[in-house]
Amino acid sequence: MKPSASSLYQAVELQQEIPPLLIGERANSNGSKRFRELLLEDDYQSCLKIALDQEAKGAHVIDLCTAYAGRDELKDLTTLVRMCAQSLKAPLMIDSTTPECIEACLKIYPGRAVINSVNLEDGGVNIRRVCKAAKRYGAAVVALAIDEKGMAMTADEKFGIAKAIHDIAVDECGLRPSDLLFDCLTFTVGSGDESLREAAIETINGIRRIKKELPGCMTVLGVSNISFGLTPRARRVLNSVFLHEAVSAGLDAAIVDAAKILPLARIPEEDREVCLDLLFNRDTAQEKNPLMRFIDYFTDKAESSDDESEESAHTPEEQLFKQLVDGDKEGLEDLLSILRERLKPLAIINQVLVPAMRHVGELFGKGEILLPFVLQSAEVMKESVTALEPFMERTDGASATKVLLATVQGDVHDIGKNLVDIILSNNGYKVFNIGIKVTAETVIEKAREHDVDVIGLSGLLVKSAIVMQESMPQYREAGLDVPILLGGAALTPKFVAESCVPDYTGPVVYCGDAFAGLKAVREHEDSTLVSTVYSERSAVQTMKPGVKDTAIDRTHPVPSAPFVGRRYVEDIDPEQLFPYVNIEALFRGRWGYRRGKMGAAEYRELITTTVQPLYERLLHRTLEEGLIQPKVAYGYFPCHAEDTTVRVEVDGVRYDFAFPRQAEPPYLCIADYFKTEQEGGDIAGFFVVTIGDRIGRETAQLYEQNAYHDYLMLHGFSVEMTDALAEYWHAVMRQELGIGAEELPTQGLISQSYQGSRYGFGYPACPDLDVHQPLFAFLRPEAIGVSLTENMQMVPEQTTSAIVAHHPQAKYFAV
Amino acid sequence: MEEKESSGRYICVNCGYVYDPAQGDPLNAIAPGTSFDDLPAEWVCPMCYAPCSQFDPLD
Repeated sequence: MKPSASSLYQAVELQQEIPPLLIGERANSNGSKRFRELLLEDDYQSCLKIALDQEAKGAHVIDLCTAYAGRDELKDLTTLVRMCAQSLKAPLMIDSTTPECIEACLKIYPGRAVINSVNLEDGGVNIRRVCKAAKRYGAAVVALAIDEKGMAMTADEKFGIAKAIHDIAVDECGLRPSDLLFDCLTFTVGSGDESLREAAIETINGIRRIKKELPGCMTVLGVSNISFGLTPRARRVLNSVFLHEAVSAGLDAAIVDAAKILPLARIPEEDREVCLDLLFNRDTAQEKNPLMRFIDYFTDKAESSDDESEESAHTPEEQLFKQLVDGDKEGLEDLLSILRERLKPLAIINQVLVPAMRHVGELFGKGEILLPFVLQSAEVMKESVTALEPFMERTDGASATKVLLATVQGDVHDIGKNLVDIILSNNGYKVFNIGIKVTAETVIEKAREHDVDVIGLSGLLVKSAIVMQESMPQYREAGLDVPILLGGAALTPKFVAESCVPDYTGPVVYCGDAFAGLKAVREHEDSTLVSTVYSERSAVQTMKPGVKDTAIDRTHPVPSAPFVGRRYVEDIDPEQLFPYVNIEALFRGRWGYRRGKMGAAEYRELITTTVQPLYERLLHRTLEEGLIQPKVAYGYFPCHAEDTTVRVEVDGVRYDFAFPRQAEPPYLCIADYFKTEQEGGDIAGFFVVTIGDRIGRETAQLYEQNAYHDYLMLHGFSVEMTDALAEYWHAVMRQELGIGAEELPTQGLISQSYQGSRYGFGYPACPDLDVHQPLFAFLRPEAIGVSLTENMQMVPEQTTSAIVAHHPQAKYFAV
Repeated sequence: MEEKESSGRYICVNCGYVYDPAQGDPLNAIAPGTSFDDLPAEWVCPMCYAPCSQFDPLD
């Protein structure tokens, strides 16, 4: 008689005339979120309905699993087995790792069930008990290729475990070979993990050997594991092709969603070949490996339908993958503990979490998700890895590529560097983030100490670009030759290629954002990373916008200053600043809530439901908790211009501000907006404004706590609040000078439709911070808690400074 | 579709400047009537010098 399973109503042959036997996988508390939620609500009727639905869709056997932390598995499983026994025509697969539950279910099930599953993880204790029960009640048994060392990777290991299980089940416990279904298990070929390139081959060879060398035994496989980390549509095709190959090798049964399997005849020849290349690791000599070719191929093909994006997760692996992509932390610990029963922690990271982060990066690259959501995904990654770490061996992950990150000497800005840290460390790299204001000597020392593979240097300031350039020979002379990645607002590919690359031995690479950094590290691993090149011909010279008239009216009257000298203002109500916040720059620029590919209505909804409430909460905290403490040091001083220098007189001492002049027409310079001595001199306003150091400390704390999303939000908020304070104070000064009488509070925010201009130090009209030296000498902003670094940068970071010109022709420009 | 005919305006995500094709951009010598897509590759935000890639469609 052919091996069969049966219910009260019918027998089903385990070896179908047209294989494989399809086993429905949705009535599973570990694999289906919906099933789990129904179970948690004790809604057994709806759980039963999920089982019935699968039968209607063509499943031959229904898998039933109710194991879930905090639930009484024995009660849940026996209750549902009773209900299924009455209502389901398809035989049941009783899915549990607890011998008591299995025994209790076999006792009450009126047909011949299949037990899922036994293995050798505990060295052979449970398997003997379960096999004896199977013998007594006449059940078939699924056996997984797992032993004390974990899941078998190679065909030899898979077969070895199957053989050992066969000996116990058949020779010791008296089962027939035809009572056994061996599950060879498979790892994904979609993760890019080098050691898994042959995962499909090993599984298929394992199936072949079992069928040949253990005659009479059957094989079963959860097919969809092969494609974790790939897109839904590509997975569907790959799963189908893999299933076909596995069946050709002798696979008898497959645990699948029957509705998601495509008949081979409906898969175009070209698709099939791309899948086969990946499954059998073929044509590896080509420039791109089979996985890269596969991803490229399916990325290029337009999505045929959207229904798969709604696809709910099936297995715990898929659930974790989905939660990471969605940035959803709910129930993460439970999910991870379920997974830990099946996979080693490192395997969970490398086969599920890292591919999921890679997918997130690809979506970001295509403009389909926004930076804040990437950070939420990274938080899921971080939390998962933190939860897995206690279960990992010390040597786990020791082979990861090591990256040193630092903000260069004299620069305190670390948002860029920290974003790179977040992206790299949550893509599986070992990051040594050694902080801000790091000297070249320290970089060399730490690079040696940690034996890093890549160095990443960051810095916001114009001066930081120079620091990077000047440190290149130092790194070369120290004997370093690992790649150096450079990032920062003042850098350009041209500067890196022409000023940094020539002075260093290894590759020097310009990175425009954190994902460019990730790409560079990956290229380094593939040995394809090269220095940034710049070609004058292909490069686009950007425009220099601005007023083109050079004739500056020299007769404009000088307003009278309300006072001469410096003053401090420390009792500013933060609410005064709110109307001056540049909301668009905050939401879209700092926070990254850009419209991207969204429609206007969808974007409006994102703003009203997510972004605006976030902003209002921060405003609320600002008022309730004193998150910001606006303080100002400012004053008006007699001055006169002499070519490019503004000479300021304070208490009989002269302070010179040397400003740069544009190198091409109209040759603008800040000094031109002030009258010369011969013209009778002028009045210059100066200010240093700060919102205090508290918000900076809170921001740093969020980063320490791995609250990446909130970190980016609070940092962006602090930057725009600082700018709002500068804008507000500039308005106050225009009022005091009597040139702002007809302004509405915020009309000039973006278009500068007010009289005069404030030129921020460190900004395009005056990139050099050396002018802080004279400014600090007479304005003495130390009184409001602001000091200078050796690189002329102001601390706290949430501080800004400017010279205020009253001349009506004074507008923004860049040198 | 409830959406009205798009005005073709784009906003700089770095500073909030709005490029309105009806106005053009005098600071970069861009004539009124020039659509955002027709701006030269070397065009930058007249307020903060951010490149075209830093612009979002506004309405």
